[in-house]
Amino acid sequence: MKLREIAEKLELKPLTKDLYDKDVTGVYISDMVSDVIANAHAGSLLVTAQIHNNVIAAANLVDVAAIIVAQGKTPTEDVVKMADKAELAVFATPLSRWQVATRLYEVGLR
Amino acid sequence: MTGQPAPPRYQMVNVHNGYVIIEKEVGGHAARAYFSTEPVPPKEEYREGSRIWKYGGMAQSFQFDILDRETGTVTPFREMLGLMYYGCARPGTDLRRLGELAHEDRISIYVALAYEAPDGSPRQMPIEKLSILNRAFNERLRSAEKKILIVPDCFGLYNELSHGEIMIDFGLTAMEEEA
Repeated sequence: MKLREIAEKLELKPLTKDLYDKDVTGVYISDMVSDVIANAHAGSLLVTAQIHNNVIAAANLVDVAAIIVAQGKTPTEDVVKMADKAELAVFATPLSRWQVATRLYEVGLR
Repeated sequence: MTGQPAPPRYQMVNVHNGYVIIEKEVGGHAARAYFSTEPVPPKEEYREGSRIWKYGGMAQSFQFDILDRETGTVTPFREMLGLMYYGCARPGTDLRRLGELAHEDRISIYVALAYEAPDGSPRQMPIEKLSILNRAFNERLRSAEKKILIVPDCFGLYNELSHGEIMIDFGLTAMEEEA
């Protein structure tokens, strides 16, 4: 499934430049950088409430397709710039991580 | 032929979750770190030789080994404190400038930081181990032409950076934005 389709269906707010033609192959939900490094798969969507720049560093290291920042949190401009540079799409949503997970399941991501 | 992709050559194994405990020198500027699987670090000051150390903070982290499925070799990475992404380095630093240069060729540079040796001396991650780590992380990538390059701490970062800049889970209990 394309990132753009997911973003539209979940009404996610894009924070980065248009990088939304990527294919998404799964979902990983975590707020721990170490957990993301150890377990997240390339091409996955990372759903998190963390907005520290180390989340971008970890997501780039394991090549996730995009980050959804849940719980209404907003990363700082510097963090968004870092994501842009790493060609990593970041979205924001007021939904909780649980709500994001259920919506992603509903749109067909398993 | 099943059409299934080949399993990856490298696999992270023996993953141990734990904590990076930071200690600071009383009356000095030195800091050091060690890995513990115990969630309750010693909080009391203690003397070691002529120096006094006190608890300075902790972060969640993990230790791991890498299994090479082709050879069956397991390489431990217990001495690795964490990785630092070039983009998290301060502007104008050597790491940041080198990282910007490498980024033009879609190479993301990370610095591997090691814990101090038991005698307190700074330690570098062995190149042979970083070679395995590079292969393991690059094997996981899917984006075309993207590369990860994990290098040893040629920048002297261990002595000068705040541990919060390393990719360990600092302040997980305080995820709110600072006012």
